Amino acid sequence: MAARDGEGRKLFEGAELTLDEGRLVLLEGPSGSGKSTLLRQVAALLETSGVSRRLDGEEYGPGTLARWRARVTLAAQDAPVLPGTVGWNLEFPFTFRHVRRDVCDAASQRAALDGVGLERLPLDRDVATVSGGERHRLALARALLWDPTVLLADEPLAGLDPDRASLCFERLAEHAHRAGRAVLCVLHEGVMGFSGDGRLRLVDGRLEEA
Amino acid sequence: MGPLIHLQPVDLVVSTTLVIGAGVISVLLRLGIGRRLAVAAVRTVIQLGLIGLVLEKIFALRRAAPVVVLVLLMIFFAGREAVQRTGRRYPSVYLDAWLAMAVSCLAVGGVVTQVVVGVHPWFDPQYVIPLLGMILGNSLTGIALGLDRFLEHLAVRRAEVELRLAFGATRGEALRPALRDAMRTGMIPILNSMAAAGIVSLPGMMTGQILAGSPPLQAVAYQVVVMFMIAAAVATGAMLVVLAAGRRLMDADGVLHLDRLVAR
Repeated sequence: MAARDGEGRKLFEGAELTLDEGRLVLLEGPSGSGKSTLLRQVAALLETSGVSRRLDGEEYGPGTLARWRARVTLAAQDAPVLPGTVGWNLEFPFTFRHVRRDVCDAASQRAALDGVGLERLPLDRDVATVSGGERHRLALARALLWDPTVLLADEPLAGLDPDRASLCFERLAEHAHRAGRAVLCVLHEGVMGFSGDGRLRLVDGRLEEA
Repeated sequence: MGPLIHLQPVDLVVSTTLVIGAGVISVLLRLGIGRRLAVAAVRTVIQLGLIGLVLEKIFALRRAAPVVVLVLLMIFFAGREAVQRTGRRYPSVYLDAWLAMAVSCLAVGGVVTQVVVGVHPWFDPQYVIPLLGMILGNSLTGIALGLDRFLEHLAVRRAEVELRLAFGATRGEALRPALRDAMRTGMIPILNSMAAAGIVSLPGMMTGQILAGSPPLQAVAYQVVVMFMIAAAVATGAMLVVLAAGRRLMDADGVLHLDRLVAR
């Protein structure tokens, strides 16, 4: 993988990344080193030529990237949401064509919210009225409910107080440790005390085991 | 019905005092549009005068080639104007606007002139030019509004588009909300005029036909045809240009190329 920033400076080049099943790996590096860009590149949201993607031995080339994203899913920075209700924000991925799963029901949506400490957030609340911290946990609940093979989480704990951050990190670790699952996670600046099963550092355009 | 009243040069001079009156109001109230009003008034006279001369000539010739050339020129300027009204652009935006304009206007205009009205000869300028002119004028608004809204949606609500992509949406699924948003915006003017037609306003073409001596019911029949034709042309034109823009800005695998989009 390779990428440049907005000014054309090289962020990383020739980067390779392998995730083993059942592991939660933290991606670290100084700010501006391209961690988010790397996650977006893995999620196939950036220019895709020259990148080869493989999952469970299956190659994902041109024409298959929507399916790739459904399995290797990015929970993006700043927890974006769609206009509508909380429930719709949990449910919309299940309406896409590539999905062969049943539409998720209200009970599983409720359980997903409860899991990240949002017991008191009703499913029919307009998402425009939820707070920043709630929005971050909603985005995480959606990603966990979606249950991707690989979850790429970009600063999932931003804006959360320590108790809620550890609750959410616990959920991420649970997801990673299940059979056939893995998580690659970037934590926000200054967050301490969380460790995964492995660490990767992105420094000066190179990706190395830390 | 009495004979038609023809306008004489002196009538135009009298009407000039009306626009000068508007200018005086602007100066008195310091609206700051006196100069623009003057320029617009002069442009109106020159542009309409020129097209009047051209139309007299083309009507007198009664040959296909000049009509076709004029229609193509009108499509060219309409497409250009549509793009100039949008707040953002991408490299091949003019080509897309021209194609959308040409396909929608020629298809709808073709059906109306050849099948509904059934003009003879097929290029009869008395029917073809005003009908296509009305289609183009409205298509222009629809294409400009729809395209502007679509590009704005992609730029401003990029995070939502990428959120859908990130969870496995195909290109069509990721762009559908932007497309619907754009189509609704593009269709609003024609929907409004269809809803208000006859109650709030007498549409311009119908008014013109009545002034020219047509029986009102005949003018109404034409106006209904024109409204439907405009709705069809706006819907097709806006849809085509937005679909084209979507394909330029997001490749088949759903990667957004918003670096191709520049704000003005």
